[in-house]
Amino acid sequence: MNSKINNYLNSHTNSSPLAVFRIGFGLMMLYSIFRFWYKGWIDTLYIEPQFHFKYYGFEWVRDLGDYTYLIFIICIVSSIFITIGFKYRLSIIFFFLSFTYIELIDKTTYLNHYYFISSLSFLMIFLPANAYFSVDNIFRKISYKQIPKWTIDCIKLLLSIVYFYSGLAKINSDWLLNAMPLKLWLPSKYDLPLIGETFMQQNWVHHFMSWGGMFYDLLIPFLLLYKKTRIIGFILVVFFHLFTGVLFPIGMFPYIMIIGSLVFFDSSVHQKIIDIIKKIIRPIRKNIKLNNKIIKENLILRNKKFVLSIVSLFFIIQLFLPFRYLLYPSELFWSEEGYRFSWRVMLVEKIGYTTFKIKDQKTGSYFYVNNEDFLTPFQEKQMSFQPDFILEYAHYLGDYYTSKGYLNVAVYADSYVSLNGRSNQRFVNEKVDLYKEKESFKYKTWIIPIDDEIKGF
Amino acid sequence: MLKKIFSFLFIICLFISSCDPKSTDSSPEIWEQKSEMLTNWVDNFISPSYGNLLAKLDVLQQSGNTFSASVNQQNLENLRSSFVDAYLSWQYVEMFNIGPAEESYFNSRMNVFPTTVARIELNVENGNTDFNNTNNLPAQGFPALDYLLYGIEDSDDLIVLKYNTEQNYLSYLTEVIDQMLQNTYPIVEEWGTYRNTFVNSVENTATSSVNKMTNDFIYYYEKGFRANKFGIPAGVFSGTALPEKVEGYYNKNISKQLALEAFQAITTFYNGNGGVSLSQYIDDVATEGYSDLSTDVLVQFDITEELINGLDNNFYNQILTDKIKFLETYDAIQQGTILLKTDMLSVLQIATDYVDADGD
Repeated sequence: MNSKINNYLNSHTNSSPLAVFRIGFGLMMLYSIFRFWYKGWIDTLYIEPQFHFKYYGFEWVRDLGDYTYLIFIICIVSSIFITIGFKYRLSIIFFFLSFTYIELIDKTTYLNHYYFISSLSFLMIFLPANAYFSVDNIFRKISYKQIPKWTIDCIKLLLSIVYFYSGLAKINSDWLLNAMPLKLWLPSKYDLPLIGETFMQQNWVHHFMSWGGMFYDLLIPFLLLYKKTRIIGFILVVFFHLFTGVLFPIGMFPYIMIIGSLVFFDSSVHQKIIDIIKKIIRPIRKNIKLNNKIIKENLILRNKKFVLSIVSLFFIIQLFLPFRYLLYPSELFWSEEGYRFSWRVMLVEKIGYTTFKIKDQKTGSYFYVNNEDFLTPFQEKQMSFQPDFILEYAHYLGDYYTSKGYLNVAVYADSYVSLNGRSNQRFVNEKVDLYKEKESFKYKTWIIPIDDEIKGF
Repeated sequence: MLKKIFSFLFIICLFISSCDPKSTDSSPEIWEQKSEMLTNWVDNFISPSYGNLLAKLDVLQQSGNTFSASVNQQNLENLRSSFVDAYLSWQYVEMFNIGPAEESYFNSRMNVFPTTVARIELNVENGNTDFNNTNNLPAQGFPALDYLLYGIEDSDDLIVLKYNTEQNYLSYLTEVIDQMLQNTYPIVEEWGTYRNTFVNSVENTATSSVNKMTNDFIYYYEKGFRANKFGIPAGVFSGTALPEKVEGYYNKNISKQLALEAFQAITTFYNGNGGVSLSQYIDDVATEGYSDLSTDVLVQFDITEELINGLDNNFYNQILTDKIKFLETYDAIQQGTILLKTDMLSVLQIATDYVDADGD
């Protein structure tokens, strides 16, 4: 057994897939960040809000006012360097840090695919993605034909986890038996030509797409892994992602997954891609002296033990973190305890309406807060159905009014949430002073349990 | 192999791009029904309401002129009654803060209350008021007239005397009325051309008419109606009651009537008054869990209306004598807000026009 593992860890494979992956990743990131900038979101999401919702333990991460743009510039520059493979290790570290920092500024903007980018870029720190077809090769005068096989496999593993786990998460009664939330979402796409007023309105289509989506997510890693089914798998990937990209406002995610899935293909495919890129950049390459470059066979990783233990730890976390919800007695979709970082994608249609009462505990006098005085509409929307947001905001309000000289401040939430087609239900115990409740990983007893049961993962 | 993949990619891209929502060419039913709803909104709600407002403002202007020509108690009474009529007709217009009205800040020019008395007095003293100045928004429109017609002196005799002796007041009164007409004319005119744009914008995007109007309706219900007419004077957002912030404060007898009229506007708009509107739209798309929603909203509206009916004609008195009763009414309105902002938004899948970010 041990020798098998050792054999595997020592086996090598062609380095071109990782090089193509690096280029694809760099370009996608570059485009994503420009797109984000162009849409004005740096300002509206990170600079404008007077208050940011923080991840537990990362309260110290702040926006830098107008200097927040600098973090995005670091992201852009490192993406360019990653693409061309220049100072790769340093660039990917800078990318990981800057990108993750941005995400940590405000959890209002949390998206599974942002978490995917953070995870992936962390993993890529430890991969020799500049071994081949990179500017680093030119400066170091060394290029490697072969790299350890596991360095490519671990990207495949991460992608497989993303798909498989999001498939597992779809095995629940709302998704499979009630076709929720697709039954709400798809009919609202009546404005799509051809399919909008026909297919999107059909009950069987909602169920078909729910089941299809689940099987797709569960099976796609295997279809991509086996050579015989790889092409059909990739066609499915392209179709599925572009289709969901048209249906839902999911930004860059479909394209990132399509480009990412190319990594499953054989090196011959990647070699051809590299040849095409070579043709495109020929005018530039002409001016570079490649004379002294030595092409070596196998790349041997330095600090192999250290790298392997970090990567192993990373995957252990990836495998177990999504199941942490089992430690909570509450209904996952309702209370969202253990919901994030688990590849639960597009599973809930949840909409809330939450207002806050500031009460003087001694005199009993109270008033309600105008949320728009403190939050952006996007923040208010996200806050209204997520308990950790509600608690954090309640504390913010409590602190704010205490600092304004109000006495004996208590904060109560009047909160109603509608989940996956159920009519709204009170969400937070209105008699609990949230200002006294502390954030922790513990079960939040002040969430009123949902009046229903959702079976499944 | 690579070629095959790319040609497949190409074909799929073609297919997907042909599904792009912006490329028009669509088929009947839902499209038509949305269009029917928008037509109903324009032809049976928006246009007649604006028409009525304009007519009432015309009468108001005439009464104003008569009053200016000869200031006496009878002409004051006449002017006041034109004012009340116009103010009531306004209640059917305020929720349509869309298109030309939105662009010209119509609502802010017509009905920001409480009015700023100090600003009015300053304008009267200085003359030559610039009504476009944002500081003057609470010094014009219906709330300013409310003050000018009922509040500048303690008794009718003194008011008549004041208009008779101080020309500045009379000219400010005329200017305010003229300005209201000037605000309204271009909007009515622009709706003539905007109508087509409005009726044809049936797709489901953040800026389409269906979505904008539904969002505006909810916004009006929550802010214009719930907060401005009830919540703020009741002290819901301040702790202590602020009864002087009721609508039509100086008239002292009109706040309930205005609120009832506004609520009438809300309920008839919601149920469509015989045509297609939100309640029908909800029924058409409701999934199982929401099958009772459209009637739940109507039931809540009925409860609310009954509670409003039970209040004092003057909300100012109601708040001072029995605030609990007033707050109970507010709570009923709030229950409606919850239904509209959770269940209705969920079932209608209205794209919100104010949230711009990716989802996943």
